[in-house]
Amino acid sequence: MSAAMRIAREEWRLLRRNRVAVIGLALLLVLAVVATFTALDSRRTAVEERAAHQTQVDREFEAQPDRHPHRMVHYGHFVFRPLNLLAAFDPGIDAYTGHTLFLEGHRQNSANFGDVRQSSLLLRFGQLTPAFVLQVLAPLLLVFVGHATLAREREAGTLRVLLAQGVTPGQIALGKAFALSGTALLMLVPAFVALGWIGIEAPGLAVSALALAAGYAVWLLVWALGIVAASAFFKRGRDALLTLLAAWAIGVVFLPRVAAEIAAAADALPTRFETDIAVARDLAALGDSHNPDDSYFAEFRKKTLKAHGVSRIEDLPVNYKGLVGMEGERLTAGLFARYADEAFERQHAQLRRVDDFALLSPVIALRRLSMAASGTDQHSYRHFVESAERHRYRLVQDLNRMQAEKLSFAGDRSSRDNRIGRAHWHGVADFHHEPLAPSRLLRNAAPAALVLLAWLAALAGLLALAVRHLGRATR
Amino acid sequence: MSGFIHEWRLMARSRLALAAVALLLALSTLAVVLGTREITREQRTMDHLATLQAQELAAQARKYAQGADAGSAAYYTFHSTWSPPSSAAFLAIGLRDASPYVLRIRALALQAQLHEGESFNPELALAGRFDFAFVLVYLAPLFLIALLHDLVSGERQSGRLGTLLSMPGAGGRLWLRRAGLRTALVLAALMLPVLLGGWANGTAGVALATVALVTAAYLAFWSGLTLIVATRASDSTASATMLMGCWAVLTLVLPTLASATLTRTVPVRQGVELMLAQRQAVHGAWDLPRETTMAQFFRTHPEWQRTSPLPAGFHWKWYYAFQQLGDESVAPQVAAYRDGLLARQHWTARLGWLLPGVGVQAALHRQAGTDLSAQLAYQDRIADFHARLRGFYYPYLFNDVRFGPQDFAAQPRFDPPSSDEPMPVGSLLGLAWLGATMLLLGARAAGRVRLFPRSRI
Repeated sequence: MSAAMRIAREEWRLLRRNRVAVIGLALLLVLAVVATFTALDSRRTAVEERAAHQTQVDREFEAQPDRHPHRMVHYGHFVFRPLNLLAAFDPGIDAYTGHTLFLEGHRQNSANFGDVRQSSLLLRFGQLTPAFVLQVLAPLLLVFVGHATLAREREAGTLRVLLAQGVTPGQIALGKAFALSGTALLMLVPAFVALGWIGIEAPGLAVSALALAAGYAVWLLVWALGIVAASAFFKRGRDALLTLLAAWAIGVVFLPRVAAEIAAAADALPTRFETDIAVARDLAALGDSHNPDDSYFAEFRKKTLKAHGVSRIEDLPVNYKGLVGMEGERLTAGLFARYADEAFERQHAQLRRVDDFALLSPVIALRRLSMAASGTDQHSYRHFVESAERHRYRLVQDLNRMQAEKLSFAGDRSSRDNRIGRAHWHGVADFHHEPLAPSRLLRNAAPAALVLLAWLAALAGLLALAVRHLGRATR
Repeated sequence: MSGFIHEWRLMARSRLALAAVALLLALSTLAVVLGTREITREQRTMDHLATLQAQELAAQARKYAQGADAGSAAYYTFHSTWSPPSSAAFLAIGLRDASPYVLRIRALALQAQLHEGESFNPELALAGRFDFAFVLVYLAPLFLIALLHDLVSGERQSGRLGTLLSMPGAGGRLWLRRAGLRTALVLAALMLPVLLGGWANGTAGVALATVALVTAAYLAFWSGLTLIVATRASDSTASATMLMGCWAVLTLVLPTLASATLTRTVPVRQGVELMLAQRQAVHGAWDLPRETTMAQFFRTHPEWQRTSPLPAGFHWKWYYAFQQLGDESVAPQVAAYRDGLLARQHWTARLGWLLPGVGVQAALHRQAGTDLSAQLAYQDRIADFHARLRGFYYPYLFNDVRFGPQDFAAQPRFDPPSSDEPMPVGSLLGLAWLGATMLLLGARAAGRVRLFPRSRI
């Protein structure tokens, strides 16, 4: 057995005898298990509720009586945001975004009933999930367990003895790092089991689960290396501890908030109020379908009449009102898409600003990786909102087309009295959301993974420096 | 007094301690500045929206210059509502970053409009705000721990503990004096920017008093706990480990556990259900005989019973009648949803009697008017205003009065009451209880310092 391994084994023996450390580890493991089951359970409840509601509204849509198609445009449809299984590992922004979206004609509504507005501020303390335990608590415990790993040997004078016996500083540091990484691995066990189970349960997510496991392993390895390096640099264990605690508090608690605050302050988002007015104004500038003298729709009428080779809208083979509805919806949807894109781009720009802080604090990179791979980040949310918008547009235009084709211009006088058969509602509203493909999730997570690997390399370099320092300081 | 001066001299010589206090002062200042900036931005947004709204109203008004149908005016006119920040909101932004503080509504069914969300960046909200509440709840205890964890072990390690303990009348007073001075400095570092920010923001005296009391009680709790651990721990490392463990459990682990429990025990799925039920009720009206709808409406609104019967074609009064009936049909779900939200808020406030961090969070956000209750109060004000809107339009609709320019100008305007909240006495009592208890226990522990630690922690 190599010297490094013997040192690692010795370190573990010591750890087993340290009552406080063992209790701390046991508590963390219990917490991780509790977090896993809580998160799985709350995700299951959420998914079941949303699926039940989706089924209910799909059924209700088809159960509507004979109606004028435009009444169905206003009746609209609800879609519920599904959650993949990895959301149980890291729910990301799930609680901070609405999960219910009402789709109707002429309007683009917000996704509502997110937990953030339905909870007291207790939610802001964080959510008990495996991701939270590993991101925040595990490094803290690693600091407690490992800060004295080399400083202790130096304070007790055993370091000198070891070196005199011909063990190199590199071997010692490697052994200590190996031991601490082993402890970190132990902390990862509940998460690995959960991720493994998710990978088996949902094979499509297996690659993402693997990426998550690797990401968190690298994260704790960064800490293990940093802790051993600090323990080598500082003469006293206490100084190493205080420095590491400060690094943890700044990196994990302080910087993520400051980064978010700076990003929010640098580029504020417009309120819905402003956007709604802006959309309404742009629309008024384009054309008013209700105004018979409007130039845009006069032009539209001329073109339509010409295309069908008739001179009066009464002579068109289709109901002109339906065509106007479709044209109006096309215009509004174009505006909605433009404003929504702008808003999302702004949010992504804010997040890029936050991501820059990952160079100061690796937890920012880890969070990005974790949420991106779990499909619970802004990209996945945007994907849902955009796919719901596409569904809204298709649904409304299908209904408008029914108005154009199933009702005659003469027979379309009142949206209350002129109706078409209820069989038409069959199958038009069903919403099936195709979440982002696993390869897309990985691609979204890739930049953060690179940053995390750069941190690993930097910390390995730091450890190498510390080893040299160790050799010189004890000579 | 001379003791304190002496301690001050000692402290002034410790560069690390002074640096820590200065850093906290800087962080507290930063939090106050950022909070003020955020609230100023909100205020600017509200002013800007008021201008926009005035332009919109002026544009709408032109359509009614010759008089028109009140129903169409009610349908096309949006009215703005807003929730002005309280004078203490800059200290604790709370829910204002994720829920709307401005909302446009019109006289259609209220429940379809009331739950509309605001556009915000969810990932930034997830990270949380850097406001005074954050500095106090999370960072202040860390600074206290840094300043106090080696109170006794530092003396022990430098060999002075024996001398100190043998001095006449040493007792626990020495430790209390030393811890008291450092805690007071931490309190000053936290409160000084708050007072300046309060002066700049025109914050009500009551609110500042609440913040001072909350801060003092929270610091009392943590310095008490730090005294207990620091006077018993074998060395500085054990003391720091133990205290950081306490901090992690009290501000990270237990609140998240409590949050998970609360979410599970008080579900609020009624929100979605009321939306679904309300839509069915409103749109179902198009398929019912209009007379049935009117008869149902007259049951709850008999004052309009004796108005003229519905004409053959479309009439707005029927339209608004079923809009209102849609709201009324989901009243039980609305009440249940609200009760669920309030229950969550109440349990959080109660939890504040056990967990000081949660207590501080609850008290500060209550005082700042940025918590869930404040959000519900804003919704109530919107509902009141909406009722006024209906009350304004109905005489025109039911008595078939033409809607002219002066009527357009007479439409009700939203008028939010003063946004300053009273002192949250319950939460303050809970915090005072926690702080006093821990401080007493700390003082008792300070009286029992031994030269050699009895137990290793």
